[in-house]
Amino acid sequence: MSRVRVMLDGRESEGSPDMTILELARREGVEIPTLCEHRALSPYGSCRVCLVEEEKSGALVASCATAVAPDMVISTQSDRVRKHREMIVRMMLASHPSSCPVCDKGNRCELRRVAADLGIAAPRMDRVAQPTQVLDLNPFIERDMSKCILCGQCIRVCQELVVEGALSYRERGFDAHAATFSDGILGDSECTYCGACVSACPTGAMMEKKRVYSGSGDRTVETVCPYCGCACPIQVTVKGDRIVRVEPADPEQPLCVRGSYGLDFVHSPDRLRTPHIRCGDELVPVDWDEALAYAGENLTRIIESRGPDAAAVLGSSKGTNEENYLLQRFARGVLGTNNVDNGGRLYNAAVRVGLNETIGVPETTDRIGALADAEVIVVVGADLVNSAPQLAYAVRRAVKLGDAQLILIDPGRTRLGWMADMWLQPRFGTDGAFLAAVTHVICEENLVDQEFVARKTEGYQALCDAAAEWSPEWAEELSGIPARHIRQVARRYAGASQAAIIYGTGVTQQNRPGEGVKQLANLTMLTGNLWRTGGGLYAVQKESNGRGACEMGALPDFLPGYHRVDHRGMRRGYEETWGIEVSDAPGLSALEMMLAAERGEIGALYVVGENPLQNYPNPGKMRRALEEVDFLLVQDLFLSETAEMADVVLPAASFCEKDGTFINFEGQIRTLNRVLDPSEGSLTDWEIVLGLSEVMGSSLPFSSVGDIQAEVSDLLPEIGPLDTGRHARDMENGGPGAAARRWPASRGIARFSVPELTLPEPPPEEYPFTLVVSNTLWGQGGGGRTGRSKRLLEFAGDSFVEVCTEDAGRLGLEQGNRVRLVSPVGDITVRAALTDALPQGVLALPAHFRDAPATALFDVTLDRDTRTPMMKSCHVRMERRGSDEG
Amino acid sequence: MKGETGTSTEVFRTVVQDILDDHAGESWPLIAVLQEIQHRIGYIPPEVVPLVADRLGIFPGEIQGVITFYSQLRDRPQGRTVIRACRGTACHVSGGTTVLKALQGELGISEGESTADRQYSLETVACVGACGLAPNVIVDDDVFGTMTPAKVRKLIEKDGEPS
Repeated sequence: MSRVRVMLDGRESEGSPDMTILELARREGVEIPTLCEHRALSPYGSCRVCLVEEEKSGALVASCATAVAPDMVISTQSDRVRKHREMIVRMMLASHPSSCPVCDKGNRCELRRVAADLGIAAPRMDRVAQPTQVLDLNPFIERDMSKCILCGQCIRVCQELVVEGALSYRERGFDAHAATFSDGILGDSECTYCGACVSACPTGAMMEKKRVYSGSGDRTVETVCPYCGCACPIQVTVKGDRIVRVEPADPEQPLCVRGSYGLDFVHSPDRLRTPHIRCGDELVPVDWDEALAYAGENLTRIIESRGPDAAAVLGSSKGTNEENYLLQRFARGVLGTNNVDNGGRLYNAAVRVGLNETIGVPETTDRIGALADAEVIVVVGADLVNSAPQLAYAVRRAVKLGDAQLILIDPGRTRLGWMADMWLQPRFGTDGAFLAAVTHVICEENLVDQEFVARKTEGYQALCDAAAEWSPEWAEELSGIPARHIRQVARRYAGASQAAIIYGTGVTQQNRPGEGVKQLANLTMLTGNLWRTGGGLYAVQKESNGRGACEMGALPDFLPGYHRVDHRGMRRGYEETWGIEVSDAPGLSALEMMLAAERGEIGALYVVGENPLQNYPNPGKMRRALEEVDFLLVQDLFLSETAEMADVVLPAASFCEKDGTFINFEGQIRTLNRVLDPSEGSLTDWEIVLGLSEVMGSSLPFSSVGDIQAEVSDLLPEIGPLDTGRHARDMENGGPGAAARRWPASRGIARFSVPELTLPEPPPEEYPFTLVVSNTLWGQGGGGRTGRSKRLLEFAGDSFVEVCTEDAGRLGLEQGNRVRLVSPVGDITVRAALTDALPQGVLALPAHFRDAPATALFDVTLDRDTRTPMMKSCHVRMERRGSDEG
Repeated sequence: MKGETGTSTEVFRTVVQDILDDHAGESWPLIAVLQEIQHRIGYIPPEVVPLVADRLGIFPGEIQGVITFYSQLRDRPQGRTVIRACRGTACHVSGGTTVLKALQGELGISEGESTADRQYSLETVACVGACGLAPNVIVDDDVFGTMTPAKVRKLIEKDGEPS
């Protein structure tokens, strides 16, 4: 890149032609005020306060939108610049209300700061009143357009960063304002209340509503959003011991409504305040010493009388890496069992199984940012806008602002639908046949990256032979997707120089989910996309630390770093460090623990932050299982349904009350910092586990999160140190090939796998509907936390099932009618919500309703590879209920 | 309404699809598309905007922004007769404001609106170059000079008669 020499405020300086004057000035430490400039957006130049003078031509230019050119002589502070800048700010103030003392934006207001820096106290002009408040009814965002300075940041983040397009300019001149399509309330627009506009607004024009949060904060701490697998960095502002505001910590990573406005669950009155011990039918409050001693005694009693494998530990993909590492060490070292798993199993086991046997990297292979380089993005069975918003934003940016083509494979319409180049709706459960036919076309038409396949893979011929059977015509018959569309998808995907695949629970919670993942892995290998930037294979994780919990070995068959427990060489390092012998027999997975418990084989079950009674299928069976457990120890923020059955309940601290790290779905290490002290009576999970090991007479050698991190980085050089901003497997430097060489074997090549195809059974006559578990933005998981966020509940509290209009018409259902959904396992009653986004015969039930858990309809039949039940869809019948019935 | 009959959304959609098809493959056809829609339908119905947005790969709100930016483009139907009151300087000093008020009172609408029976639209215009006759009112293509509130009443009564 050629260099550009300029004079900046009398000093010689050197930049490059792709640099703006503002960027150069910032690099040189010269401060220029800005109001409309945003790091993640394209230059705009509307506010004009950043103007500088080019002394040779005498031109006043907006430094944020002017590239440096050779021999410029730039003055950022000349009298002329100051005079004009002052005039601009005075004009802004003249059309701005003088309500600064009562404005909640307070000292965060950038207009106020710029005015103060220029020494402007009053506009000294006639004030021109602006239109005022817009009466938005939602509980999240309020708009006061009298404070708007028309910098366009809210519009631009909505269009360029979140790519929702809910806001645009309307009108012209004095009447110009930021508005929704209908110039009405946000509720009537595409707005998802992600809060990006609020965090970008330099003034008080767009503000968070203060129904829950209130007042100016007294300190701000960076930590990590605890909801979905994106684990976005957040900035939490606190006043006293209350959270008053949550904003993105990185302006390039806007949050979603859950992250921006759904973290008030930490202040829920439902938080447990003291440990409890069961006395007969009651849970009696006790102090920590007594609770820990009692729990320790019982755990010791059971492993001594019935052996260590009578104990089981169920951890959580919401816990930190350090806590998951500690928990599995506690299970293996203190209790002496491999019966340890984390709740992530229910949605991510298929990823491990499918990728273990194929590409050898057990996780998402690339980073979100790489999607910008993709020419084609295929989204299979994932409702990204709701389940992984940050990923959805990146996909929309790649499509809307870049050149990427989007191919959507989903039986229902998701909110990405409007920008898809192709939206294919395979009949429920036939994605396998569809993907097989895509494989067939790629092999048959030789769209294969032969060099990559020859050098980096094995098993190609076997796959080709098998694929010969899977013709598009055969798949058309099964899936209902026209054969020519299948060919088109194959050609577009294979024809792109980089094509990414993103998949979600539509793959990982289906029947034989590992096979679906293998098919996707085969596609990325056939086309050579696997090792290209922009050709990633992305697995959506439902929980913030879904990936980290597994990397840390909270798994029955793997030690930290995916080292196999049944491999002596891999065990040895851990055994030496921990000073114990690790059993070579893989333990029980999450659901297997519950099934073993039902058979009376589990004496002690230690549940950390999980709620099987609500979130696992067949609650009746789960209840019987928990009843059979001799000693049930539950550690949670709330008295969950599972905790209500416990013998000892321990109150745990929330995500914002502890230090630690998460590894998000793409492998980024994110650091949690303690924002608040643990809520009254609670302790962090890691402190509790350490306390337990101490009362059990085998103290673990840690006294801080740092100690645990040090051991992790010693044992796992490929992951540690757990430093924020690093990639957990150092994809940057080693490349995915590095991980492949190490795991699962040291062969360094990927392996094609011939998938086992299963076809869905037709619905039995008495259960004619296929019920699909879906997501909304207003809830997460089983709703344990989002169901305790006042604002999210206020906005979307009522449980509902989506029914397509044709089915509703046939059954005489109207919007809001109560319906009973019945499966062979159980039934729930919800309201009907009519939609045109679903095909006939399919119902969609969001997973997060605490009063109507979808899990109540599902049975526990474990897949033999992933050891998970199918939780995406089941067969039900729907009955209309009278309004007065329960 | 020129050339089409019926005003249902379906008809609008067909018209707009045709126009979009004509412009397929062009790089920035938005203004031309909007002008043609207005020419064929008489205005740009908000319900067809998402259709245009979808085809051109821009947000519906952005298009609404363009429509509201240009005074030439309308998102509401216009009356059969368009009455424009001049707000130029000469008209202003010779009583243009009272003339405008009289028009508003007589028609029962504000500027930018149409009467419920779609007979009249009321608009304002900056200057029509007939300052010697100020204040001016323009009915469709005819200029009426030296207007007064009384003349406004007569003008509208006369126009209401079948001709």
